[in-house]
Amino acid sequence: MKRVLLASAVCLTVLLACGCWDRTEVNDLALVMAAAIDKKEGNRIELSVEIFLPRSQRGGGISGMGGEQGGAKGGGKATLVRSAEGVNIADALARLQEEVPRKIRWGHCKVYIFGEETAKAGIFEKVDFFQRHPEVRTRAYVYVSKGNASRILEVLPPLERDSGEVIRELSKLHVGMGVTILDLKQMLRGEGGAVALPMVDILSPRKGQHELETAPYLFGTAVFKKDKMIGRITQNETRGVMWLKNEIRNATVTVKEEEFEGSVSFHQIRATTKLTPKIERGKWKMHVEVKAEGDMVQNGTVLNPVRPEILGKMEKAFKDEIQNQLETALRTVQKKMKADIFGFAEEFHRKYPKQWHQVKDQWDDVYPKVEVTIDIKAHIRSPGAATHPAGIPEQEVKQE
Amino acid sequence: MIEKGKISSLHLAMMMYPTILGTAVLVLPGMMAKYAKNDLWLSSILASLAGFLTVYIASRLHRLFPKETIIQYSQRILGTFAGKTLGFIYLFFYVHLTGIITREYADFIISMFLPLTPISVVITSMLLVAAMAVWGGVEVVGRTAVVFFPVFTIPLVFFVILVYTDLNPRNLLPVMEHGIIPVIKGALMPETWFSEFFLMSFFLPMLTDSEKGMKWGMASVTGVALTMVLINLVTLFLLGQEITTFTYPLMEVARYISIADFFENLQSVVMMLWVLGAFVKISVFFYAVALGTGQWLNLSDYRPLVLPLGFLVFLFSLWDLPNLSVLAHFQEKVGPYYLTSIQIVIPLLLLLIAVVRRRSRKAKEADRR
Repeated sequence: MKRVLLASAVCLTVLLACGCWDRTEVNDLALVMAAAIDKKEGNRIELSVEIFLPRSQRGGGISGMGGEQGGAKGGGKATLVRSAEGVNIADALARLQEEVPRKIRWGHCKVYIFGEETAKAGIFEKVDFFQRHPEVRTRAYVYVSKGNASRILEVLPPLERDSGEVIRELSKLHVGMGVTILDLKQMLRGEGGAVALPMVDILSPRKGQHELETAPYLFGTAVFKKDKMIGRITQNETRGVMWLKNEIRNATVTVKEEEFEGSVSFHQIRATTKLTPKIERGKWKMHVEVKAEGDMVQNGTVLNPVRPEILGKMEKAFKDEIQNQLETALRTVQKKMKADIFGFAEEFHRKYPKQWHQVKDQWDDVYPKVEVTIDIKAHIRSPGAATHPAGIPEQEVKQE
Repeated sequence: MIEKGKISSLHLAMMMYPTILGTAVLVLPGMMAKYAKNDLWLSSILASLAGFLTVYIASRLHRLFPKETIIQYSQRILGTFAGKTLGFIYLFFYVHLTGIITREYADFIISMFLPLTPISVVITSMLLVAAMAVWGGVEVVGRTAVVFFPVFTIPLVFFVILVYTDLNPRNLLPVMEHGIIPVIKGALMPETWFSEFFLMSFFLPMLTDSEKGMKWGMASVTGVALTMVLINLVTLFLLGQEITTFTYPLMEVARYISIADFFENLQSVVMMLWVLGAFVKISVFFYAVALGTGQWLNLSDYRPLVLPLGFLVFLFSLWDLPNLSVLAHFQEKVGPYYLTSIQIVIPLLLLLIAVVRRRSRKAKEADRR
């Protein structure tokens, strides 16, 4: 008797394990994959979400979607885009829920895109939503789009499941900056008072393809002062910023010099950047130390890279090119925009807490005058899988 | 003695560890960082001194009255009336505290995982399970704690390994930017957690090897302090100054983990930690309340009291705190005085009185001879 009671009690606990009032079925959820926030008239915002479509719900695809290829996987769209307007994100979300028959869930959303107008108007208030909502992931990436943000969600990239996934993968490849919500919050509250977010735009579709059958790509970096966007730097300058922020992982550096009569490309294998702040006789200085290591991937000159002297010359060119990238970035961001997106303020604060507190309020004036010295140690690890330059008779290859 | 069961001092140490950390892991880093900023790890080391002191007081009192708990020896030290009054204060204090802890547990579950579930359901289910453990006696409470000990500690270590690549140790600098004062301020709150080590005085009479009680108690304080430092450093290295903006920083650490794009969303592991830790904590507090009430009323068994006391705890958890802000205010502004005075200051005074009395008695006996 006792055993029967015990066994039935154990079975009954299963009823409790299903989550009581908060039981949710997957088929009652609308999983948001990416979200876009645009500014509308009269201080209102428009929230657009890209919702994952389960395979059984996918239709036959939109007509004219590139004929044979038939759009994305499985012959139908993988996602659905819906938008709604509201006073703030939460309000727009409530309106949005009125259009979507399933409960909107943020747990899977890994991409948030601000429209350019929103970014210029300020993003403080929006970031609070990300932090307060228990489902939003702090590891999700944040972007600024050129123009309207919702159009980024609307495109149907052929190679990935949805457009949010495309830019997230791009950030993970480190071809541009990757800024998570946590990074964004840290920058917003940081001492420097500046934020850098990667920008996205849509590739223009190839000839003959449907206008939606294209993909977003990283398009430079948006620079913010406080929480307002003040400008954009190019992809090239972004490289320099990434060098300074020690975020370079995957770079190909191409050097073109008169001396070589051609161009040489190196692929970055390893790179680290160290910032060392210094205050000498009241002058604020930042010493940047870069260590880069790369392999040769293309040699368009007649020089034989196996020769140590020639490799040494190439190393120097490699080094100069990196230096050039750093200087370009510094010129634009430090001198022109006067935005401390490199985290110089934190570095000074960490090393010189006392002096820092004296200039804290005038940092905007001090920062552009910080003297930056750059020290680069570039090293070419190997000339790749080839020795002599290809396609040139051996006697024409220069050994020196 | 009411309790016939016995536990070893190692069990006691393993029981106290989750009892202190159970609720500390999630909320403490944020609260400490509010005052100590990036020196919060120093604060937890400073606060652990309170833990060592508490263990010392509890063990000294135990040595003077080896078979009794504070409910009983307070009567011997202060006389029946004053002793009973003090005993009542203690019982009230622990019922109140158990209620607060239960509420803290339930608030996290409600706000993070089960927003639609009524809070009374979450509280009741936890209290019923804890009541069952208390009903089973000290051996059940102790053994469940021992079983849960590795389940509680191993995930913490895993978090550190998994989130390692995202950590930025430079967040530690500058150390003690504003001097020692913020560190002391930051230590006030964790100190209340460490003062809860006084609960071990209820278990010391049941040890099979009570002479090792103090040693293992100290070991437990050390373990708790080290774990707190570890958690503080991990949250600091990952979140930086942002620590203060999160209600549950460790939760953010777990959510931030992402290995190869598929091993992610580990918040359920945090939930497991929280439920296990809270269970051990609540059952230990509950046990102390039940046993103490039995001793206070001179009963031969405390078991009939378990359910009524559970109901009382339930009411305290619901009525005392309307929301999370009040709870945070209580922990910040009231807790340091309330918990410290009852769990450190009063026992210290009792110890002093007992020692002085014993000395004078011995002196008189010597005079008589």
